[in-house]
Amino acid sequence: MIYLKKFSYKPGEHEAEKASNSYLMSLIAFIAGLPLPIINLIATVVFFFGNRKGTFFVRWHCLQALLSQFTVLVMNSCGFWWTIHIIMGSVKISNHYISYIFTILIFNLVEFAATIYTAIQTRKGLHVVWWFYGNVTNLICKK
Amino acid sequence: MKKIILQFSAIIVVFLSIWFIINQIQWMTLFKVNEVSRTTERKLGDMYWDMIEKSEKVIKDKDVNPPIDTILTRICNSNHIKKQDIKIHIVENAEVNAFALPNKHLVIYTGLIKSSENESELSGVICHELAHIELKHVMKKLIKEVGLSVLISMTTNNTGGETIRQTTKMLSSSAYDRKLEKEADLKAIEYLTKSGINPLGFADFLNRLAGKEPDAQKYLTWISTHPDSKERADYIKQSTKSPLTLKLILTPASWTKLKEKAEKPD
Repeated sequence: MIYLKKFSYKPGEHEAEKASNSYLMSLIAFIAGLPLPIINLIATVVFFFGNRKGTFFVRWHCLQALLSQFTVLVMNSCGFWWTIHIIMGSVKISNHYISYIFTILIFNLVEFAATIYTAIQTRKGLHVVWWFYGNVTNLICKK
Repeated sequence: MKKIILQFSAIIVVFLSIWFIINQIQWMTLFKVNEVSRTTERKLGDMYWDMIEKSEKVIKDKDVNPPIDTILTRICNSNHIKKQDIKIHIVENAEVNAFALPNKHLVIYTGLIKSSENESELSGVICHELAHIELKHVMKKLIKEVGLSVLISMTTNNTGGETIRQTTKMLSSSAYDRKLEKEADLKAIEYLTKSGINPLGFADFLNRLAGKEPDAQKYLTWISTHPDSKERADYIKQSTKSPLTLKLILTPASWTKLKEKAEKPD
């Protein structure tokens, strides 16, 4: 799912710190935004635009941090609105709902662990590429 | 690009597979979800009824309760509704009103019996409220208006006297939303037809009371709080399939006695 790859150049200390911060930023926003899933996405988008004039290494990792949140954002938003409908009484609680909540919990935990690992490795100047998101980032982010 | 699409599809497949596997566990049974909702509904119903019982005069009369019970039995038996679950109460009150409470309590005011010209009119309103019960509208309305957490805390902590008072008022004197009211009307027509009661009586009742003078409207809680009565009467007429096989439930003598008692209770 996650693998280390050689980057096209060796990033400097300052670049590694900034790139690592993008994951930390998404992590903090992720914790704060759990009740309202859109908050973490907004926070990462803000961070991404704040660094869009950064070096290639920084931009690449900011983008990967941003993209990696989209799947959990969609999953969490569905879970959020499903819960709201249950609280409002328009939908009844079901086995499908409870299973869904557990499923998104697993995906959120995986994403959480992967983000922490990537933040640590990126801080060391290592280039961590995520499965799927790394390829999408390569497609969008150009030198 | 092909690789990205394949990887994205794989994520979706993994997600759905995990969901499917987790869904094999019976969480509802494990967490006793249904049991908790049933207990909450039972406690709420009893709390609301206790409040009404303390503040209103409940009728227990051999000329009032048995005829109403006979009507209810016919409706329940003809529509496969468990009659023993329905708790019907007759309350002495001049308002033309009937309402459903959680845990299948059905309250009828004597004002409603007084205003009904025949058993089909009264049965129409009973069927409408019964439909709210059977379609689980009561809990839906409560959850929507008060919130699930408040309802659960009301039943677990036995607190919220003011909330109980306010929600009792809401349940007894306000209608459900338009969609639920129409659903209950259509279900009522089905119940009436299957029971051999003319649904047009229900339409006539709505039409007649809607046409009353405005100063008389203050007693017509059931009419004034519900959606446009004329419109309802029209779609009841349209939805009524003919020819109908009609069967009288009460003898003319017992209907007359019921009316007399409703007009002049002891």
